[in-house]
Order: sequence, then C-alpha cells, then structure tokens
Amino acid sequence: MNIEFGRNSLRAMIAVFGLAVILSGCATRPDTGDAAAVAAYEEANDPIEPLNRYFFELNNFLDIILLRPAAEIYDGVLPTIAKDGVRNFLDNLRSPVILANDLLQGEWDRAGDTTARFGINTTAGVLGLGDPATGWGYARHGEDFGQTLAVYGVGEGPYFYAPLLGPAPPRDLAGFGVDRFFDPLTYILWDEAYTIPVTRFVVNGIDLRARNLDTLDEIERTSIDYYAAIRSLYRQSRADEIQNGVTDVDALPDISNINFTSDE
Amino acid sequence: MTWQLWQTPSPARRSSIIGLFVLVSLAFVAMPAYAARDEQAETFVNDIASEAIEILGREGFTPQALETKFRALFVGNMDVPRIGVFALGQYARTPTAEQKAEYLTLVEEFIVKVYASRLSDYTDQQFAVLSSQPKGNRGKEVIVSSQIEFTTGRAPVPVEWWLLRTDDGFKVFDVKVLGIWMAQEQRSTFISVIRNNGGNFSALLEHIETQIAQANQDRDVELTEADSAVATETIQ
Repeated sequence: MNIEFGRNSLRAMIAVFGLAVILSGCATRPDTGDAAAVAAYEEANDPIEPLNRYFFELNNFLDIILLRPAAEIYDGVLPTIAKDGVRNFLDNLRSPVILANDLLQGEWDRAGDTTARFGINTTAGVLGLGDPATGWGYARHGEDFGQTLAVYGVGEGPYFYAPLLGPAPPRDLAGFGVDRFFDPLTYILWDEAYTIPVTRFVVNGIDLRARNLDTLDEIERTSIDYYAAIRSLYRQSRADEIQNGVTDVDALPDISNINFTSDE
Repeated sequence: MTWQLWQTPSPARRSSIIGLFVLVSLAFVAMPAYAARDEQAETFVNDIASEAIEILGREGFTPQALETKFRALFVGNMDVPRIGVFALGQYARTPTAEQKAEYLTLVEEFIVKVYASRLSDYTDQQFAVLSSQPKGNRGKEVIVSSQIEFTTGRAPVPVEWWLLRTDDGFKVFDVKVLGIWMAQEQRSTFISVIRNNGGNFSALLEHIETQIAQANQDRDVELTEADSAVATETIQ
C-alpha cells in the first residue's frame, strides 16, 4: 500500500517535472557577442532559471496557503520555552548526522563537541529538550554531507530550486540523500504511514519557517528580485557554512580599482 | 671553516643553529599576525558601530528621523559609488551618462533604506571588534572582524567589514552579516534584473524606483500606525 503510494507519487513527480521542463525549457543562452550578458549568465550559473522560477513561485504559493499560516499559529500559540524545546530536540536528533560529517571532514575537535553535546543534552538536557551543552562551552554547529563533498573539492553545480525542498543544487541534493544513511532513525522499522519521520520533517519545516517569518519578509520587501536574492543568500550562506564561518579573504575580488569602465 | 658547520657541528653549535632556526621561524609566524592588525581600521569600525547603536537605542525617533540619521552615517562612511559599480558587474559599461547619474542617486537611496531596515532588527545589543587583517597586495583593503552581542543570551552575530583606504580616510565597501555580503547580494539581484530584461538598463532603474517608493509607503504606514497608537494611549 505504502510502496504503491510511493511509486505513484514518484511517477507523478517525474511527470510534473518532465512536463515543466518541456514547457518552460532552459534559459536562453545569451548571444556570444554580448559580453556583459554572457558574464551575467555564467555568474548566475542557473541554466534552468525559468523552471527554477516556476518552482519558486509554486513554493511561495504553498507557503502562503499552508506553511506560513501553520508557522504563524505555531509561533503565536507556543511559548518561547516550548519552541526552544522543539528546536533543541530536533537538533539533538540530528547529532549522528553532524558527527558522521565532522569525522568525514577530519574535524576532530568539532566531532568531540558534537559527541559531548549529544551526551550532555540527552541526559542533563532531558532527552535533548534543553541545551545545557552550549553554556558548558560546546556550542552548536551544523554539518551535512553537501558540506563534506565541498570540503572534498566537489563544486556546487548549477543552481536548482526544488519543489518543497527549496534551493538544492546537485551537490547539496546528493548530500541530503546521503545524510539519510547517517541517520539512525532511517533504520527503524516504522509503521506504514511513517508517522514519526513525517512528523519530524513537518515540525522541522514549521519551526524553521516560524523562526524566519520576519527575516524572509524583510528580504522580500528589500529586494528588487526576490528569487535572485534568495539564490545569492543560499549560495553565500552555504559558502560560509563550508568555511565554518571563517572568511576566506583571498577568495574576495579586488575592488580597489573598479569603476564604470573597468571589466569587473 | 664553514664546511665544518655542515659536517659535524659541536653540540653547542648545533643547539645554536637550532636556536637560530626556531627564532627565524618564530619571527615568520609571529610577524604577520603582529603586523596584520590595523588599529586605525578597527577604531573606524568601532566608531561607526557605536554611532549606529546610539541611533538605534535612542527612543522617540520617527521612522523619518531615524532614516535621516542613518543616511548621514552611511553616506559619510560608505563608498556608495563603488558599491553601485560593483553591483552592476559587466553591465557597468552599458548605461549612458544620464543613466549613470540617475543610477548613483537611486542606488544611494536604496542602500540607505535596505541597510537601515535590516539594521533596525538589532536592538538591545553590544558591539565588539575582534581582529583585522589586510586584504590584497595593494595595501588598500582591510577586513575587520567583529560581533554583535546580545544581553538576552542569544548567540552573537558575526559581522565582517570590508574597508577601503582612500585619500580621506577609510570607507566601508561591504558588510558581511551572518555569512551574507550585502553588496554581493545586491549584485546578484541587479544583474539578474538587467539580464532578464534583455540587457535594458532602464529596467533596473525602474525596479529600484518602485522599490524605494514602496519602502516610503511602508514607512509612512508605520508612522500613521505609530501616531494612532499614541492617540489611542492618550485617549485612554
């Protein structure tokens, strides 16, 4: 029953995806004579931009009718302490995935932090609802297999904006898939409806949305192209996460000489 | 005499050679770290941040007054024309002289609004400069690292400042908050608008104008709401 449903929904998704690709096609490559347009096209690295924009609009629509109202209710009804409990609990559940990627990146200190956090927060933090570990000097950090691939030298690839998931260029989409294997919850035999994993996915989405209600409004309000702004923000924050928050000064362009006639 | 040095140095000589090596390598390790910090740049950043915090912390400002204060702070300390050029990428060569002039006026207005709006989220804060380092080999650019600390126990927000040394002191080129460089974000959106309008530069000008008008409208609505809130309080 469930497998059947899975197959059907997969087929439906492929059909929708295929149709959308055919309908919207790829972004038109600019004329090679137009140097500025070629540079812009390459800098955006978004060959299926029309399709991505279509999915972006789709997600915005789902956000307006579904996710945002749910997040607003969640945000308004639950006291802060309960919301923090939810966030801490979900973060703690993710510890094995973070630990696996810490180790794969050879970040031994951070792996130690993750282990200590899991131990402290599961016990003293009452099953992960609290986060006393941060106060004891083991601050939270995130890791995922997309970042691990980046550390191994894998590039992000062309931009892809997935329905429901949001920004998911090939490297990060692959990482998202691989991280399932590091998650012990994947190996538990769940009921047919997968109540617990599905609940976790939904609650995680609502909590994250609730935490970004004002931020996303702000970005939408202050951008002349919301889609392009989100694309830039996604790439920049991923780059920052991959660098573990350290600015790579040498990677920044030289801006000391730019003007209206320069080529940068 | 010298060949002896490489053959069998006496223990005393050997230790002095090792000592020399240690000293030299220490100097190499320690020198850049010592020379890297730029006190002037750090002071410059600290002054701007203190002023911003003071503006944000003072109560009773109308949104207009707040914007005027920020405008003075931003325009005086940021290299707005350079940000404007950077945000255009290679399209910087396409506008006419009139379009350039209009663009620079609009971009200044736009930046004041965007930065002021985003900054106003940070109240109840303290600011600390952490370090600084030179960027590039022209000696013109400096990166200053700092963080915003909160009295509420919220995790500190890292802020990096990309400064440019000019003839009349430092200018801010870009600010990175929570991993996001602001000018880079503007560049992505500006270039996207021009390209998606077939390279038409005036499309960008129109988009920025619309955005500024919208921001003004929002601000005035906020102002009216604030007024009616005050009025309601007075009645009660």
